[in-house]
Amino acid sequence: MRSWFLVLVALLAPAPAPAQTPTAGSWREAVERLRDASVRPARRSAPVAAIATSIVDESEPNDSVRTADSVALGDQARGVVNPANDVDTWFVDLTAGQFFSADVDAQELGSPLDATLVLIAPDGETVLAFNDDFDGFDSRISFRIPASGRYFVLISSFGRLQGGPTARYALNVGTVTCAAVGTEREPNDAPATATRFAVGESVTGQLCSQNAGGDVDYWAFTGEAGTTIDVRVDAASAGLLVDPFAALFAPDGTTRLMFNDDGNGADPRFQFSIVTTGTYYVRVSDVMGNGSNPFPYTLHVRPIVPGPGDPITVRADGLLIPLGLAVGSTGDLFVGDVVANRVARVSAQGVVTTFAEVPNPLGMAFDAAGDLLVASVDGAVYRVTPQGVATRFITDAVLPFWIAVAPDGRIWLTDVFDRTLRRYSSTGQIELRLDAIVVGGSGPGPLAIGPSGEPYFSQGTEIWRLAGDEFQRVVTDGALIWAFAFDVAGNIYVPSPTLGRIKLFSPTGAVLADTFAIGPDAPQAVAFGRDGTGATVARVFATEPRIGRVIEVNPTAVALPGLPVGFTAPFTPEAAAAALLGGAGLSAVDRQFLDELGNRNGRFDVGDFQAYLRTLNGLPVAAAVQQRPRSAP
Amino acid sequence: MNSTRWVLAMIAVLSLGVACSNDATGGDTQAGTLTVRLTTPHADDGAMTFTVSGPPIDAAAAINASLRLFTRREGDSTVVGAVVGALADGVVITLHVPDVGAAARYTATVLEVADRQDALRTSLAGYALTVAP
Repeated sequence: MRSWFLVLVALLAPAPAPAQTPTAGSWREAVERLRDASVRPARRSAPVAAIATSIVDESEPNDSVRTADSVALGDQARGVVNPANDVDTWFVDLTAGQFFSADVDAQELGSPLDATLVLIAPDGETVLAFNDDFDGFDSRISFRIPASGRYFVLISSFGRLQGGPTARYALNVGTVTCAAVGTEREPNDAPATATRFAVGESVTGQLCSQNAGGDVDYWAFTGEAGTTIDVRVDAASAGLLVDPFAALFAPDGTTRLMFNDDGNGADPRFQFSIVTTGTYYVRVSDVMGNGSNPFPYTLHVRPIVPGPGDPITVRADGLLIPLGLAVGSTGDLFVGDVVANRVARVSAQGVVTTFAEVPNPLGMAFDAAGDLLVASVDGAVYRVTPQGVATRFITDAVLPFWIAVAPDGRIWLTDVFDRTLRRYSSTGQIELRLDAIVVGGSGPGPLAIGPSGEPYFSQGTEIWRLAGDEFQRVVTDGALIWAFAFDVAGNIYVPSPTLGRIKLFSPTGAVLADTFAIGPDAPQAVAFGRDGTGATVARVFATEPRIGRVIEVNPTAVALPGLPVGFTAPFTPEAAAAALLGGAGLSAVDRQFLDELGNRNGRFDVGDFQAYLRTLNGLPVAAAVQQRPRSAP
Repeated sequence: MNSTRWVLAMIAVLSLGVACSNDATGGDTQAGTLTVRLTTPHADDGAMTFTVSGPPIDAAAAINASLRLFTRREGDSTVVGAVVGALADGVVITLHVPDVGAAARYTATVLEVADRQDALRTSLAGYALTVAP
């Protein structure tokens, strides 16, 4: 299970590539990683030198250095830890100065083995390095070889408790290579060669020792007097068993102004107020020093200037990875907790309970009948009754991502597999499928319904809308845009996870407040609250997947209530019935709407009327239980 | 009383008797409830429209809470309706009428039927509605 968590943290963290410019296809890649993670966890660590030149199978007995099997650099050794107390020993001849790597693939291959690795010196006794978990449950040792000789690698199960015929592993033996990663430019081991960036950006690099001197990365930025910055490094929080260290240096490059090791779990984080304008340096290093496993990291340096939406208030805590957010008709918050495979319900008092079990929930929205629609990584949109019973509802999308319900009850969906924007009837029948490659970026992603009932979506750094039959750009921003929300005037609250803040744009895309709120860590979905009657109110909530929270911005700064969400019945069931039975009162457009809601046979009939009652949750109870809408074609 | 007056008096009495025969509180008519029974060839009917015509109808109602009924009057003696729910063979509607003895004079007709997935039945063969006390 832990590998799921690691992969999802990686997904939901700000993109490891230059975060402000997501690469094309990143929505799709993100969801695909989610989908594939249960089968094959993604590799998170630096590669060994080369693809295995040969595969060597173990030969039992090989439980000691005397009976060790031979393996060479570039080989892949394969074996089985069986029985539970089995130890497989391999020897490899190494040269002084080599940066040796022994990398286990077991969990990654679907094996139940939780491996441990030990590196033994040529004397056959001295333990040089040990590792249990680095890449999920899979172990890795990277070690600078001090002297030429024959070294021994021991692999066994954690605690000698597991093992068996299926406890297979592959041990990749080689040397570490330090590939270019992220935005850093090596060499950057000193202030003079620091890689420059701007405050507010998130930059990425890798700590990887090219030589015995080890690796440190210097980053340079211009600090403005009177500002306070927040410095944070993400590495361990991305799921790696590593321990980075960060320090801030003055413009002279040598005076250390601030440092931190474990301000955010095993990752460093600190704040510093700048008195004098000048170039400052952040140095990122590895507490383990030279010779440990290389690892990637993300460095965030953000200005701390409170916006009107500050301070924030934590409304729910302790969630794993809360992503999607929908607000129920009674004001409760419904949060998709991705790795917990559930939709959590957060009461007004902040009490978190499990509302429904849904595999890896993504975008969510309430439909016309009051059921909660949940896009899932497993490829389906689930429909969850108010009682929390989830059933597969829309099944013709490959990678459904985000979902919204328009005032007419229709369902809008983005499929990141083919970059389409799709429209479904309230009963789940597909009506429209628009190729949205033209919008560029990552294609249609997080989605919301705008003031006139039309769908708006983020393609990464821009918000577009569908106006009639053409796409129009509404907001252009330099930062990643996730799931946004409208107030009644059409102003747009935009979460910027890579910048760690929420922005506010006008209906035409002009910046109204940047920053609106800096308190959020990395907000990814924003929604307006609702009161006990279902009416939207002037309260804005956001999910914080990285830290497992739901927060609320300062409500005194939220000037207007949210745009009403969900379905608005255009007429009463009695009016529809009267029209069905020969009376007047409904226009031709109304009748066409009802027909499209139902059986779409070109006229308004009793089947359409039944569909409308279902949409309004107006079927008799017994009938509602028996009558479920047909599957999407 | 001469013969002419006698005849007029008898006519008046008889006229009064005829008038009283339309009074539900007396005579040989009785207000009450009739049932409308559906015969269907399908087991998954979800909604139906129908019409009932004949003598006056005071009111109509679904047989129970598992069905929902909507009606519209066309004069005193015709009701068109839509009933939605898990329809099956048996009584689906009740009619409150001034004279239950006139049950045979009512006619009920199925107009449209949809299955529980909203699809309209292409044929109404095998469907029937029967009004009975």
